Amino acid sequence: MTDLPLVGFIGLSAALLAIGLFGILTRRNFILLLIAIEIAMNATILNFVYFAAYTGGTAGLTGQSIAVVLVGFAATEVAVGLAIVLALNRLKGTINVAQATELKL
Amino acid sequence: MAGLSGILEWAFLVPLLMVISFVVVGLAGTRLKRLEYGGWIAVLFAGAALVVGVLVAAAEMLSPGQYVNVQYTWFQLPPAAGTFPNGFRLVAGTLVDPISALMLLVVTVVGFLVMLYSIEYMHHDRGLARYYAELSLFLAAMTGLVIANNLFEFFLFWELVGVCSYFLIGFYYEKPSAASAAKEAFLVTRVGDVMFLLGIFLYFYTYALAGPGNGWAASGFVFTNGNQPFLAGAMGGNSTLLTVAGIMILGGAAGKSAQFPLHVWLPDAMEGPTTVSALIHAATMVAAGVYLLAVTSLFLGFTATDQLLIVAIGGFTTFFAATMAVVHSDIKRVIAYSTISQLGYMVLAVGAGFAMVGLFHLFTHAFFKALLFLAAGSVIHAIGTQDLFKMGGLRKPMRITAAAFAIGGLALAGIPPFAGFWSKDDILGGVYSQLGTHPLYWPFFLLAFAAVFLTAYYIFRAWFLAFSGDGPRDPTLPHAHEGSWVMQVPLIGLSALAVGSGLLIFWPNFQSLLLNGAGAAGIPPVFGPTDLALSGISVTLGVAGILLAWRLWGNGRVYVLPESSWAQPVRRLLLNRYYFKVGYDWIGQRGVYSVARAADFVDQFVIDGTVHGFERMFAALSERLRRIQSGVVSDYAAYVVAGLIAVFVLLLLVAPYLVTLVGGA
Amino acid sequence: MLPLISLILATLVLGTVATFFAGARSRWVALATSVVFLLEVAVLFVNYSGWPGYNGALVPGFSESESYSWIHLSWLQINYTVGVDGISLVMILLTAILQIATVIYSWAEERRPAAYFGLVLLTCLGSFGVFVALDILLFFLFWEAVLVPMFFLIGFWGGPRRRYAALKFFVYTHVASIVMLVGLLALVFYSGASSFDFSSVYAAARSLAPVPQTFLFLALFFGFGVKFPMVPFHTWLPDAHVEAPTGGSVLLAGLLLKLGGYGLIRWAVEVLPNGFHVSQPILFFIAFLSIVWGSVLSLSQRDLKRLVAYSSINHMGIVLLAIALDSSLGLIAAVLLMFAHGIVSGLLFMTSGSVHHTFGSRDIPAIGGITPTTPALSTMIMVGSLASLGLPALISFPAEFTALLATWNGLGYWVFVPLGILVVTAAFYLWMMQRMLFGPPKGVPIGAHDVPWYEGVGMGILVAFTVLFGVLPGLLVNVIVSSPIKGWPGP
Repeated sequence: MTDLPLVGFIGLSAALLAIGLFGILTRRNFILLLIAIEIAMNATILNFVYFAAYTGGTAGLTGQSIAVVLVGFAATEVAVGLAIVLALNRLKGTINVAQATELKL
Repeated sequence: MAGLSGILEWAFLVPLLMVISFVVVGLAGTRLKRLEYGGWIAVLFAGAALVVGVLVAAAEMLSPGQYVNVQYTWFQLPPAAGTFPNGFRLVAGTLVDPISALMLLVVTVVGFLVMLYSIEYMHHDRGLARYYAELSLFLAAMTGLVIANNLFEFFLFWELVGVCSYFLIGFYYEKPSAASAAKEAFLVTRVGDVMFLLGIFLYFYTYALAGPGNGWAASGFVFTNGNQPFLAGAMGGNSTLLTVAGIMILGGAAGKSAQFPLHVWLPDAMEGPTTVSALIHAATMVAAGVYLLAVTSLFLGFTATDQLLIVAIGGFTTFFAATMAVVHSDIKRVIAYSTISQLGYMVLAVGAGFAMVGLFHLFTHAFFKALLFLAAGSVIHAIGTQDLFKMGGLRKPMRITAAAFAIGGLALAGIPPFAGFWSKDDILGGVYSQLGTHPLYWPFFLLAFAAVFLTAYYIFRAWFLAFSGDGPRDPTLPHAHEGSWVMQVPLIGLSALAVGSGLLIFWPNFQSLLLNGAGAAGIPPVFGPTDLALSGISVTLGVAGILLAWRLWGNGRVYVLPESSWAQPVRRLLLNRYYFKVGYDWIGQRGVYSVARAADFVDQFVIDGTVHGFERMFAALSERLRRIQSGVVSDYAAYVVAGLIAVFVLLLLVAPYLVTLVGGA
Repeated sequence: MLPLISLILATLVLGTVATFFAGARSRWVALATSVVFLLEVAVLFVNYSGWPGYNGALVPGFSESESYSWIHLSWLQINYTVGVDGISLVMILLTAILQIATVIYSWAEERRPAAYFGLVLLTCLGSFGVFVALDILLFFLFWEAVLVPMFFLIGFWGGPRRRYAALKFFVYTHVASIVMLVGLLALVFYSGASSFDFSSVYAAARSLAPVPQTFLFLALFFGFGVKFPMVPFHTWLPDAHVEAPTGGSVLLAGLLLKLGGYGLIRWAVEVLPNGFHVSQPILFFIAFLSIVWGSVLSLSQRDLKRLVAYSSINHMGIVLLAIALDSSLGLIAAVLLMFAHGIVSGLLFMTSGSVHHTFGSRDIPAIGGITPTTPALSTMIMVGSLASLGLPALISFPAEFTALLATWNGLGYWVFVPLGILVVTAAFYLWMMQRMLFGPPKGVPIGAHDVPWYEGVGMGILVAFTVLFGVLPGLLVNVIVSSPIKGWPGP
């Protein structure tokens, strides 16, 4: 299946990654941050899926299975992240990450 | 009496007996109060050593010859590439030949008498167990040195002699001056020892370099007569090395025998007990230096340059030391300077090629010098002072001591038929016969001749000050009395030797002790009828010295040099010992110690300061760097992204550029 | 045949672990371990196949060697390889002697005795491991294993500035270790050796070109040299010694410094001959610098321990000089000197510890005339000082004699530098003895008494060995020359 448009897909995932990174770097709201992380992560998953299809055959199966695992990862990560959000809100009354600096030396 | 030569194999018993004495007295002495804290045990062992020493000497007298017996390999290297291709061995063994038998006799006789004399002289001191143990080790080391059969073993005992004298000079260690004198003695002789060590290396090395020497290295560098002819021939191309080797040996001997300019320690060594001074001056410590020179000249040989230097050092020292003895008022110091001066004669003799004559003088000198010290000790024991100007009139209460000191003085002054005359005039005659060797022999010969006059003068100045007159100049002194038989026997015995030991030279059996296969020429007596004029002059000088002493100091007179006299600056110079000690102290304190302090400063503030500078730099850097750890997640994310970009830049842009730069694929 | 070395290692490991958990009885466990260790070392000596006269022939190579595969990958062959030759055997003997002497000397240690004795044993275990390891990784593991217990010994039982000293010690030696590790790994991988074993590294690295050999040698030399210590990387030593507890000082001077010398001989000089030859001038320069600097600085010290520490720099400088000479005589001298210095400096550090216990200070000008109060301690100080300044019949003399003879053979009149420094060495020891031992009593507390029995026994052991090997140095030399280096045993 080598007729898939290479540049388009890579461009799409690159754009998603850029959007995600932009969100990570600029947002201070924890929930928006999580969403940005999800977007960036989806860029990765998209790449895996795309290259799995691009390679094809049994070799492509590796990419597909990693994509599935990554979806699972993303879900757990969101779950843990939201739990942290709740804990943070309870502790500080805010979900602004700039104020959660307890791990600083 | 052929059976007697079997004793030669057992010569090692002498040091061994004294080592046993050292161990026994050292371990058990403090519990043996009734035996003078082990003193009588030490006397017993010294007596046994004396018997062996006399037997060895007798055996050598009857059948002179060399006896080499390697008993123990110290350590051994297998053949390997390098300087010693046939391997290398250091041994500890004995070499009994006529001169070592002679020395053994001197050391054991004087050692035994001093040990006996100590029993009473030291009776009231504390730490006697230590004293007798150290004295035993001292004798063990000296007798070991005398029968050592190679330079390495020689050096080993040499250092032991040094350390024993260190402890004995510092016997009254609570006295700061004694502790300081002990240190000085060790340190000054150490300078000589270091030179000696290099001398050993040079001899080992030069012999090993030339083909035949290889066997010598593998056999343990044992003294053999073959070395000297070999030296003369094969070593011709390496004469510079050999000259330096000889100078180094001379340096070692100068340190031990207190020759100029390493003489400063000996007068200060008077801080030790008088018995120790007697031993050091007569038979052990200082004799080792002369013996080393003699052994080296017989077995290894000196070059002509070395000989000139030895003559110069010896000749100059005779006069130099005698001048200092003229002005001093401490009875022991006067005798100490006379020792330096007399050692100068011996060194002079060895330098002129008459090693055996030098050893003959060492032999006679040992007896009359021990006699002088023990007589002085008898005086000090009786009245408790060493200051000649406080003494006086001791002739009456101490007849034996006065006679003994007089005999010793006559022997020292070289008045016939006392012992010193025969040996000293032999030296002068020997040097006179060699004057044609080099023009520079002349001045040193004349200095040595002039010293004869000074010697007679200063020793009789001491005698007149102490013994003549009506009574002590210091009335507070206790009433003098003669010591008991324990002190008198050594005095009488040594007096007999001081009279008779010189005449032994006319006994053929004794002469054979001064034979040596290597130095067949120059066996005393070397002077013949042609030198009678020389003897006449020297005896006249000696008598003149005695007469001058009598004129100035006799019958209790005290000669005071006028304040306005031209000689006052000279007197001050002599009293300050030519400022040598001041100079050496200055080098030590102002020189070396200041350098050490400066180095300490550099170490603490420059080297360690650099280290601490790095420490502070990293601390400051980390203080800056830690600020980027804001705790804000987004900041960290930004660093991650920045790092990612940096990696991309490196991989895609910089790396290819670097590869093209080095021209790689 | 019995795997003797593994047996000794097992003894030490078991003993160390048991000591840590033995509580109040730890000193007895430590003593028992030390005694067993000493006996096993004696067996090792007797069994040593390189012993001249043993089976009528000298056997070149390593004795008692064992090798088991440890980590095997296609590109990585690491073995557990151990073995001894004459050089390591002498060093092992030193370890056993110092261990037992230290344990007895520290008998009355009251602060956490179990941990103290455990760490002492651990230090000796590590040193033993360094001396027997014939595999680079094993060597490095033991090397680092020595560092940690010493850090804690200084840092917990030390003097007032112990934290500073411990940290300085650790940072210095650790930086050196890292450089050394890089050098060792490069030694394997750059030379293309088939395994981490000494024999294969030796075979592969010797044939490298001079330039890479030089770089490798310099890296290794830096790593070993800081341990020596070489001037100007020496300032950790006085601080560590002054702050360390007495037992720590003894092991530090007696064993840790020797690791540097041993490592240099085993892993650098013999393995990289070309690099060694190129670097010789650097080694000579540093050796002379260390000799002069250590001795001159000793002269200006007031603290007895600092004085001994600087004299260690001087003596190890002579060791470096002897190694740098690249002659069989020099190597013998270096090993003998290391052994002698281990015993003598151990003795001197013990005496300075006892001076501190008895008089509450080590300040030389503040104490004087202690001989009547403490005759035994005074005698020990005299023996130690005289041995250290090279008195014959004591152990340093044959070593220094050989070293200086080798220096003359190799460098000619340069020998005047170490020879002249001998006078300075004598001067600072004699001056110290004059001020501290002799003269009228000063700074002696009321009721001061001579050293307790355990300190006396600890020092007595070292004095006994000082005299024994001083009188019979051949016992050691015979062992050393049967090592498979410098073409020994000869044709």
